[in-house]
Amino acid sequence: MKSKKSEVLQGTLDLMILKTLHALGPLHGFGIARRIEQVSRDVLQLNEGTVYTSLLRLQQQAWIAAEWGTSENNRKAKFYSITKRGEKHLQVEAENWERISDVIGRVLKLEAER
Amino acid sequence: MSTRREFRLRAFAAKVRGFLRGHKRDGEFDDEIQEHLQLLAEKFMAQGMSREEAAAAARRQFGNVTLLQEDRRALQRFSFFEALWQDLRFSLRIIVKSPGFTATAVLTLALGIGANTTIFSWIHSVLLNPLPGAGDPHRIVELESLAPSGEWVPTSYLDFRDFRDHLNLVESMSVAKPMALTVGNDVHVERVWGETVSGNFFDVLRVQAEIGRFFSGVERDDAQNAHPVAVISHSFWHSHYNESASAIGAILRVNRTPYTVIGVAPKQFHGSLAGLSFDLWVPATMYGQLTATGTWMLEDRKARMFRVLARLARGVTLEQARSELASLAGFMAKADADTNEGMSATLLPVWKSHYGIQGSLLAPLTILFGASGVVLLIVCANIANLLLVRAAGRRKEFSIRVALGASPMRLVRQLSTEVLMLAVLGSVAGLLIADWLGGSLRWLLPLTEAPRLQSGGLDSGVLLFTAALAVAIAALASIGPALHATRDNVNETLKEGGRSGTSSTQSNRLRSLLVTSEVALAVTSLIGAGLFVKSFYRVKSIHPGFDPNQVAVAQFNLSAANFDAQQADAFCRHLRERLERQPGVTAVTYADYVPLSLGEGSWEDLQVEGHVSGPSENMKIYRNLVAPGYFTLMKIPLIEGRDFTMQDDDPHPPVMIVTREFVRRFIPRGGVLNRKVHGWGQWFTIVGVVEDSKIHRLTENTRPYFYVPIFYVPIRQIYRPEMGLAFYVRTAGSVSEAMQSIRRESQAVDAMVPASGVMSLNEWIAGSLFGQRIAASLLSVLAAIAFVLASIGLYGVVAYTVAQRTQEFGIRLSLGAQPRDVLGLIVRQGLAFALAGTAVGAGLTLLLGRALGNFLVNMSAADPLIFTATAVFVIVLALAAASIPARRAMRVDPMVALRYE
Repeated sequence: MKSKKSEVLQGTLDLMILKTLHALGPLHGFGIARRIEQVSRDVLQLNEGTVYTSLLRLQQQAWIAAEWGTSENNRKAKFYSITKRGEKHLQVEAENWERISDVIGRVLKLEAER
Repeated sequence: MSTRREFRLRAFAAKVRGFLRGHKRDGEFDDEIQEHLQLLAEKFMAQGMSREEAAAAARRQFGNVTLLQEDRRALQRFSFFEALWQDLRFSLRIIVKSPGFTATAVLTLALGIGANTTIFSWIHSVLLNPLPGAGDPHRIVELESLAPSGEWVPTSYLDFRDFRDHLNLVESMSVAKPMALTVGNDVHVERVWGETVSGNFFDVLRVQAEIGRFFSGVERDDAQNAHPVAVISHSFWHSHYNESASAIGAILRVNRTPYTVIGVAPKQFHGSLAGLSFDLWVPATMYGQLTATGTWMLEDRKARMFRVLARLARGVTLEQARSELASLAGFMAKADADTNEGMSATLLPVWKSHYGIQGSLLAPLTILFGASGVVLLIVCANIANLLLVRAAGRRKEFSIRVALGASPMRLVRQLSTEVLMLAVLGSVAGLLIADWLGGSLRWLLPLTEAPRLQSGGLDSGVLLFTAALAVAIAALASIGPALHATRDNVNETLKEGGRSGTSSTQSNRLRSLLVTSEVALAVTSLIGAGLFVKSFYRVKSIHPGFDPNQVAVAQFNLSAANFDAQQADAFCRHLRERLERQPGVTAVTYADYVPLSLGEGSWEDLQVEGHVSGPSENMKIYRNLVAPGYFTLMKIPLIEGRDFTMQDDDPHPPVMIVTREFVRRFIPRGGVLNRKVHGWGQWFTIVGVVEDSKIHRLTENTRPYFYVPIFYVPIRQIYRPEMGLAFYVRTAGSVSEAMQSIRRESQAVDAMVPASGVMSLNEWIAGSLFGQRIAASLLSVLAAIAFVLASIGLYGVVAYTVAQRTQEFGIRLSLGAQPRDVLGLIVRQGLAFALAGTAVGAGLTLLLGRALGNFLVNMSAADPLIFTATAVFVIVLALAAASIPARRAMRVDPMVALRYE
């Protein structure tokens, strides 16, 4: 039984992966993990393995597609790329986030003005 | 655009794909993970870590691989079902691997479930489902007429017709009267139990014919003796016609009259009396012909002999119909005041009916159900104990699984599956036992005059009950071990090196609690059984007021042979003469009733000269029609006056003999002899007074009773052949020879009149005790089972403790303790359980005392002798059970014990 908290975290991770693939193009799992580590500047402490669960879910929802290919050091690796559906989903979710953070920001500023 | 739904749909589709694809895709995922780990390790090595450090760091950063795989599986599989399947296979493996444990558990469960299911199937067939084969049986009720005193009486045919024709809230009504019939031809007769019923009987019960048809058309009218047609039961069809269609239209001689078979009842239909099986149904309008009494019986409003069944109209409640009936009966009481004054009628649900065996079995069955519940609790406790022991042995396994990331729920689910599997196996075995025991109810019922008893079959209701029971046991028994397994401290367990058979204090405490409760419950059952056995012997030793020893009795159904009253009289006189001439016979008599029969005999409305009966005083006094010599044979003392003689028949004036209680109640002052009593439309003279004796039950209060000569009298018509006839033979020799003589001589007098119910009077009376006997014997069996189970439980706990503490004992012994000190230690523990359990059990029984007291005769439930005896018995046996492992412990070599793991 996953708790609500972990579900939210998973959802966030899904978005981060989609964004990463959108920005950087096709990547394999290790690359995605490194990029996220970089971007979040070690603030986000999660087990790297959870990336793969996200990738599986994203595949099931057809937001990303997978293909076997060769990595930089000539190893066999699975490359993931974002799909059109994925782009759409990303856009929708990003807008949601913007709206929410906007509202929260305004509410918090309200407090400060008191 | 419903994105949520689409989301779920895709997820589901992925699971289906995963299910269909099987395990192929797993490999790819695992490879990916391994690659990632490898790359991470290389990254750390590049930062300067050693190979091992890098690998460990990589794993830490990556997280729990096993959990990840489970998550993946959750996404790609129907994990619930897979887990369930896994649990089942695992449980099966465990069960097969430990045959000893499995056998003990399954056997224990089988006993508990078997006992409960058997008793429940009896309750089901007698109380809950009394009309098998009937459609919508809950709308069927019974109509009982009520005498002015409030006592229930059978209904006359004329009253029945008035009820039938005028009640609106009742959809349909039928009479039903059980009768013993003689079926056969001139060569071979047999006795068959049937019911005389109204034409619409099968409609009221909503029963369909198997083949042929039921009563229809003119056969349903009220014309008497006009329609000799019969419906036979399925088993009769099977045994007499081999289930062939030629049965329809066949001629059957019933009481020497040819009847045509028109239909066969379905297999599961046995008649309208709960618990009893009937083979024949004939129209009630044929009653006169069947009993050779002409037509007057169905035309006399005072001739009350029918039982009436009714089906409530749609949407009508029992109370509504009951009040309509009460007002109709009140109206009839005034309209037919000469016969029905002060009478009323009521409707009862079938299971409350006074007919059939429910009345006498209700109390014993309830007690038995309670007792078997107790056995079941002990079974649960035993199983829980067994599971705790096994769980203790698997602590390591559970701790490892928890360390690997298993959720407590998963462990609990697996334990529950194991227990459920055991419960299923136990249920199957238990059902087999119940099936075998179920038919045995008939052996407990008296052998006397009764239709065959239905076997308590295992129908869907009973099976459902057993399934529910199995699930309940599984739930109860797995709570303890499951809680224990999940609360365990993983670290502690894994650190405790080596010892695989240890258990924590928590577990020990739980087991102690369980064993103490087992002993308490066993003590309660033993005391209860003891009380009932004592009560049974109390009742048995009540003096019946006559001497039943050395007396043989036999029943004759003279009306089944189509005798009229005169022929009956001749038969009796001839048979009596022949029997008196037999060697060893000291006295012969006959009467229409045998004391302490299951039936109640008949009564008559009396008026006693000089006694003014009160407004609600019940003047319907029970009586026996006897031949001269009855009191001498039965050794009932004559207090005043004289016995009947052969001269007391017509044309001499009618005479009567009364009992002491009769005199006390109705003739408190003045002379008794020669006083007049009015009954049957004429005045009788009292010529004698006899001592009181038991009439219906050994435990009854003394009631007034009277006797009238049984002769045939053309005008008086008191004795009627269909009333039944019993012959009594007292012999100085062997009673079984006397029984043979009766059979032989009655055949010689008239071969067409079979003797039935031939037995000694003692056996006959024993039949009246069957309620108490059932309670006493079955409770004893259950108590014995409870005690054995509790002893096994106690032995198990002590043996286990001994095994646990072997090292400790070894240390003690090597430090100088004497073997008997060790023995003392162990025995004291066993004693502690026994004492605690006994105390609790005794307390429990005292609490139940009032409830139990209702069923006991002439004694209170707080019988000090039985309590003390049980306590001593239990403690002694508990000590014995504890001493076996104790003695083994004593003999252990200290050196071996110290090294014991």
